[in-house]
Amino acid sequence: MNSQINIDLKNESDSKETADVSVAQEINLGILLELGSIGAGHAATALSDIIQQQILIDVPKIHKIPPHLIPNFYNRHDIPTIAIYLQLTSKFGCDILLTFELTEAKKIAAMMTFANSIEEIDLEMETSALHELANILIGSFLTAISDFIGISLLPSTPQSIVDTFDAIIDVFLIKQSMLAEDAMIFETRFKRQGEDAKCILMIFPSQELKELIAEKSKPIIELK
Amino acid sequence: MLTLLTGYDFTKAWFSLNTRIVDRPVLAHQQLELAPCITIPDNTNPTVEEVRVDMADMKIESKHVELLTSVGSCVAICLHDSVHKCGGLAHVMLPTSAQGLYEPLPSKFANTAVPALVKEINAMVGNQTRFSAKIAGGANMFANLGTNHLDIGAKNVRAVKTALDKHKIRLAGEDVGGVHGRRITFDVASGRTIVRQHNGEIKEI
Repeated sequence: MNSQINIDLKNESDSKETADVSVAQEINLGILLELGSIGAGHAATALSDIIQQQILIDVPKIHKIPPHLIPNFYNRHDIPTIAIYLQLTSKFGCDILLTFELTEAKKIAAMMTFANSIEEIDLEMETSALHELANILIGSFLTAISDFIGISLLPSTPQSIVDTFDAIIDVFLIKQSMLAEDAMIFETRFKRQGEDAKCILMIFPSQELKELIAEKSKPIIELK
Repeated sequence: MLTLLTGYDFTKAWFSLNTRIVDRPVLAHQQLELAPCITIPDNTNPTVEEVRVDMADMKIESKHVELLTSVGSCVAICLHDSVHKCGGLAHVMLPTSAQGLYEPLPSKFANTAVPALVKEINAMVGNQTRFSAKIAGGANMFANLGTNHLDIGAKNVRAVKTALDKHKIRLAGEDVGGVHGRRITFDVASGRTIVRQHNGEIKEI
């Protein structure tokens, strides 16, 4: 699978030690990206099973940029968005955020409940459908990863929020900026029958989780 | 026991009587009902140019423009100088610079953003001026979702107020707290600040 890593290396140092560190980091990023690709593949299959349409995924990306630059990076400032938020129920903090544009969310919910039009489904049903969707999508994502590296990753129950895009991701970015200089975001976009499904899956892994995944994946790399 | 006999959960009824005073969480489907796909108009006053202030960024202007920013738990500080008809807006992310890693980015922290704004505006007009401040933001976005979040919004608001006090700037208006994000437009010439929420609520502070 093609993979793409966007890294902003701010200061390239000449000393060998730090170069080694950056190479190790790059390998870790590569591992995370590959695992993410596997997970996203499973998630896309799950999604297309649910709504019975072909779902394609963009090549997953890892962005490693300072948190405060992220809203501008997405450039979806005031678009009404519904976000479904999950956490990993382990000691390793990891925020998982699935965002849909509000109109897109309605469409997907209508497809899931076999409604003929968007107006037909009631709002409680819609939220419930989206929660279910997030559970299945993220569940299959995490199962794929945890099967691969042999640690259990269990998500919490989904919670949803409706607001503008900037306001939603704001609190996650604050959390990220308290922990590290650069936030690492794992991002996947879904496509539905040629058009952009306007659905973004964002994962903010903590440092501990990243280290654990890197450590657990070492035997896999050595096997080749 | 009572529940078994009568089929009605009395403990639940008792709790609901007791908890009526507490703010009921707004459920997501109610939010959807409140906000049936409202798209916030991009430019409300087409004659005035709009300048977006990014996260952890600040802008000062002396021309007649509207500074615009969207905040959730962040806080927007609008400083206005009515004499020289100019002002600035800072989008603050964290309460104090001790809380994040050090970066040469004063507008990211409440305690460094206020002096930085004051300094830049003073440098622009050429002498010491008096300001009035308006702040908005600091929402606790996930309050109704029961997450174990540090209420960073309230901390941000408190830190901004402390910083304004310290620099003896009058707080002319505020719209803080709540559970919704805000979109703030600040007219630097008139000092008019309008806060729009996603559920369609419009407020001038």
